[in-house]
Amino acid sequence: MLKFLPYILKTLWRHRARTLLTFSGAAVSLFVFCFVVSLQEGLDRLTSQSDSTLVVFQANKFCPATSHLQQDYDQVIRKLPGVSEVVPIQVFTNNCRASLDVVVFYGVPPQKLRAVRDFELTSGSWAEFENNQDAGIVGQAVARRRNLKPGHRFSIGEVTVTVAGIFTSENKAEENYIYTHLEFLQRTPGLNLVGTVTQHEVVLESTADPSRVAEQIDERFRGGPIQTDTRTKGTFQAASLADLVELIGLTHYLGYACLGLMAVLILTTNFMSVQDRIREHAVLQTMGFSGSLVFLLIMTESVLLSFAGGATGILAAVAVLANAGIAVSAEAVSLALTPSFPLAAIGVGLSIAIGVLAGMLPALAAARTEIVPALRAA
Amino acid sequence: MLIEIRNLTKQFRKGEETIKPLDDVTLDIDRGEFVSLMGPSGTGKSTLLNQIAGIDRPDSGTITVAGTEITSLSRSRLARWRAENVGYIFQTHNLIPVLTAYENVELPLLLLPFDRAERRRRVQIALEAVDLVDRASHYPRQLSGGQEQRVGIARAIVADPTVVVADEPTGDLDTATSNQILDLLQRLNRDLGTTLLMVTHDEQAAEIAGRKLRLNDGRILEAEHSLEPAGSQADRK
Ligand SMILES: Nc1ncnc2c1ncn2[C@@H]1O[C@H](COP(=O)(O)OP(=O)(O)O)[C@@H](O)[C@H]1O
Ligand SMILES: [Mg+2]
Repeated sequence: MLKFLPYILKTLWRHRARTLLTFSGAAVSLFVFCFVVSLQEGLDRLTSQSDSTLVVFQANKFCPATSHLQQDYDQVIRKLPGVSEVVPIQVFTNNCRASLDVVVFYGVPPQKLRAVRDFELTSGSWAEFENNQDAGIVGQAVARRRNLKPGHRFSIGEVTVTVAGIFTSENKAEENYIYTHLEFLQRTPGLNLVGTVTQHEVVLESTADPSRVAEQIDERFRGGPIQTDTRTKGTFQAASLADLVELIGLTHYLGYACLGLMAVLILTTNFMSVQDRIREHAVLQTMGFSGSLVFLLIMTESVLLSFAGGATGILAAVAVLANAGIAVSAEAVSLALTPSFPLAAIGVGLSIAIGVLAGMLPALAAARTEIVPALRAA
Repeated sequence: MLIEIRNLTKQFRKGEETIKPLDDVTLDIDRGEFVSLMGPSGTGKSTLLNQIAGIDRPDSGTITVAGTEITSLSRSRLARWRAENVGYIFQTHNLIPVLTAYENVELPLLLLPFDRAERRRRVQIALEAVDLVDRASHYPRQLSGGQEQRVGIARAIVADPTVVVADEPTGDLDTATSNQILDLLQRLNRDLGTTLLMVTHDEQAAEIAGRKLRLNDGRILEAEHSLEPAGSQADRK
């Protein structure tokens, strides 16, 4: 087949404008498709997050601004069997609804942060964070969006923090948050939050049964002044993003539609290319090209076009996803759009599959060309 | 005999009437012969040529070329057979416009088990035979009509086929260029011993052939042999 590559490539180049348009169409299709899949992957990452962490929230409340639990619940929860660590967290966000550029502050006891998060600082220092009341460490994605560097001061409403460091995490969603001291957020002017927190994050022992412990926690506070609603972190995040989950389900169809569009585009191009060359294929067959060889030539053309266009779209999507730090957030939970190897692999696989599918009929038509009538047709 | 045609019949339906361009044709062609086939337009010359070239099938009768009965080959084996045995010169050269002269001539060799060096050597020889070595890297649109036809001839002979067929190879060319092409065909036959079957409706063109046939009412008529009998050319090969 390699011997025929110059012919195939030159054929694709024969109608440059048409080839480039089809190529671009394939690229755009895969670009959009990658975004859709990345959205789904981001959601899956959040909702499937380890069962071994529970989030305790005020019952029947949704936005973090409305959930107020006693901070000292942590002492009670800590004593329950199966619990290994409890972190009281105050959440502050500038926007509770689904939005793209949400700023979320998580106030935690500074000495506990490193125990429950895998953060690595790319600049700044932990000491700076731990020793200053108004210090915050900023996720890489926020830092990039807001152009923040250590030493900068950053305000949202009444909250002003000094950037002590920028962190990265295996969990890309975390890179959309800012972590501060718990006390600092509780003392936000205008909010009377001292002694209360938004939620408690409960780290379980590996042997504990998450739903069992969750029940026990809610049971324990049922009679108390404030009732709780405890869920695994995955379920909690899925509930926070509930509105988005449906939307993301819809975008799936958008992704498939893009692939369908690409298939039709390549099919059309292939048919045009074959129709242009009825005589040429008859000449090739006269020379001794078999029907199956002509079939293979057209298929190769189709797959090359589809693959090249698709791969370009995938590369572009991966580049944008890796560098733009895009995230959708709702109720202080962020869904990060990041590239992944499976994403790229699926994209490449689909590009090739579409090339094969869209090549089939035109290639068959070309392979079945009756030589003499094709030569006689002027 | 190189080519043995027996009781070949081919008919087409045109609305109500049936036309029979080939009606029980029986014909032998020897190795090394240069045969011209004449007759008015629409009598079935191309139809006969296409049967011999293995790109069309008769309704009945057989064609045997060098011992192979091509009329009974499957579609794919027939394609293979064409690659190895037939060179086809078209009226309009039918070169592939996106390929250079060199690549056009090389195309039939891609179907045969030749490595790159061997292909290069053969293309070189074919281009030398048609005197176009200096145009190897030109595209068809950069060549004159006569040059294009010569590339077409080089492409037809490059794989050293058993038989070369030409369907009105000078039909699209002016007289001077036609004469060049006819000279070239004659040289190929004489110097390389190529077996050539040429369809033409030009009396003058037919003259250069060693043997002249006429197709009339679906039947072959043998015209008088030229001075040099076809057999002697065959012996030379
Ligand atoms: N594929 C075909 N379908 C229908 N009629 C055909 C076909 N091929 C040839 N013919 C008819 O057969 C006759 C002989 O055609 P052809 O062999 O091309 O003649 P020539 O080459 O002598 O001019 C013509 O009448 C032509 O219209
Ligand atoms: Mg004809």
